Amino acid sequence: MTRRFSGVWPAVPALILLFFVFLFPVVRMLGFSVEAGTLDWYAKALGEGLYLRVFWNTFEIALLVTAICLLLGYPLGFLIATTTPAWATLGFIFVLLPLWTSVLVRTYAWMVLLGRNGVLNRGLIEAGLISDPLPLLHNFNGVLIGMVHVLLPYMVLPVYGAVRRLDPALVAAAEGLGASDWRIFWRIYLPLTLPGIFAGAVIVFVLSLGFYITPALLGGGKVMMVAVMIEQEVRQTLNWPFAAALSAVLLAVTLGVYSVAQSFTRQEAQR
Amino acid sequence: MKTVSRREALTLAGAAALVGSGRALAQEPPKPAQIVVNHSGGSMGTAMRKAFFNGFEKKYGIRVVETSPADFGKLRAMVESGNVEWDVTEIGGQDAIRATKMNLVEKIDDKLVDRSKYPEKARSPYVFASSVYTTIIGYRTDVFKGGTHPKSWADWWDVKKFPGARSMRDHPTDNLEFALIADGVPVDKIYPIDFDRAFKKLDQIKPHVSVWWSTGQQPAQLLLDKEVVLATGWNGRFYDLIKKGAPIEIEWNEGALKQGSFVIPRGAKNPYWGQKMLAEMSVPQQQAVYASELGYPGLNLEALNFVDAKVKPYLPTQYIDKQFWIDDSWYAENGSKALELWNAWKLKKG
Repeated sequence: MTRRFSGVWPAVPALILLFFVFLFPVVRMLGFSVEAGTLDWYAKALGEGLYLRVFWNTFEIALLVTAICLLLGYPLGFLIATTTPAWATLGFIFVLLPLWTSVLVRTYAWMVLLGRNGVLNRGLIEAGLISDPLPLLHNFNGVLIGMVHVLLPYMVLPVYGAVRRLDPALVAAAEGLGASDWRIFWRIYLPLTLPGIFAGAVIVFVLSLGFYITPALLGGGKVMMVAVMIEQEVRQTLNWPFAAALSAVLLAVTLGVYSVAQSFTRQEAQR
Repeated sequence: MKTVSRREALTLAGAAALVGSGRALAQEPPKPAQIVVNHSGGSMGTAMRKAFFNGFEKKYGIRVVETSPADFGKLRAMVESGNVEWDVTEIGGQDAIRATKMNLVEKIDDKLVDRSKYPEKARSPYVFASSVYTTIIGYRTDVFKGGTHPKSWADWWDVKKFPGARSMRDHPTDNLEFALIADGVPVDKIYPIDFDRAFKKLDQIKPHVSVWWSTGQQPAQLLLDKEVVLATGWNGRFYDLIKKGAPIEIEWNEGALKQGSFVIPRGAKNPYWGQKMLAEMSVPQQQAVYASELGYPGLNLEALNFVDAKVKPYLPTQYIDKQFWIDDSWYAENGSKALELWNAWKLKKG
């Protein structure tokens, strides 16, 4: 008993702070949506084609971004975790440096690189590889590129952590018993780093759902995500009850995804 | 309690101003160390500092702290929670009307803010009209040489005669009007807007708009990077690039005029000094400085006398007859509906 309490007490100030500056305002904000005593705003959010489409777009983008981040981030995290310390440091710098740069700055940098007359297109045209500029910016592609870049570290770091935690003796034993590299990866690395993959995927997916700046600037105004709609309702139309309803739906889905992923991870851990 | 005393101070100051200016000075409410002015930021902030804030600081010894951007949602939250950080804030035209209706702003004190040289319709009791701006056509002069650029919204829609990627604002305001004008509606018959007709016309231009812009700087940048060759935008943003020698020019015909607005939030901490700030912003010489910087002329009609001849061609007030005014009161009523239809239209395939 005493040991449990001694663990809880130091966290109390933070919990109190979180309650007042986070939980309480969130609950109050969500309260706006049912202020009128009806669920009309939810009916509008879930019943009208427009908003369902936007929710669907958002999930589609979040899923794609998560998949691409996994494909790029897993090998990278794996490499950094298993290479020499000098290379690992360099790898970390490349992964972390963007994380410390403002999203806005990075987004503008992509605009310079990806535009019709951007560095990439001009280079490709001068090299004679293409004749017309590739449509990389101001569309769906631009949003995907920008979001993957911003979110990649959130995939790399959990994977790196999972690989580092893995007992090297297991790999040595497998090698000693004559397992091929592929088999070692499939039977040892992959199952044991699965929690890291899940953690990374959940973080990336959940963060993607609320993305705002990147789709607004790299999407050319053609890619609509829920966060943009909520912003319009809060700042332009001042329809706060409806904004609260949209937020509540987004929050519910996010928590749903999170709990499903959690139960997967727990099953993996118990195996 | 605190609010009451502030109100009293304000009334006293107003009464004193009636008695005589010498007495008024003696009875001014105490000077705060600073006041907060909230505006759109960017080059506008730089120009406001040069034209108004530096002078204000020197005159009264009160520091002017700037914040941005203009945010109607935040204004409402501040006033309703009773924690008002801004003494003066910029506000969108239709938002100013709604803010007045929602009782979020203080009355402008005409004894402190002299608007006698303003046009009649720019003397709203609650809203200070700071400047005029217009949404017009910006084009690349190296693509459209020697006056071959689109000169009307009908031209803008004519993608055969005027080919090339276009950029328009990601918002119903302006675009609905432009669509109707392109479709042959006379400017005095635009309001109330016929949504069906406007969106049907917009369908035609949709495939040719490569970027729907959302911040004021975007259209200018897109033209500069040659990402598009035609863009609608606010005149000041194009003016800024033209000043710097970019191959960009403005077509003023059928531009959508709007008024920049400032208000004093209800419950502001230093309402008297907020009024004094607006007074500073109504001085014609200072408005001329602002107009020369940004291309947004103030509404004090005497300001034009102090503007350099080279700047005048870039001020929208020179072309008022060729342009039309956006009807803020129509948007105050129908803005949400228009935005919702706009979003639905944008999501429509094709």
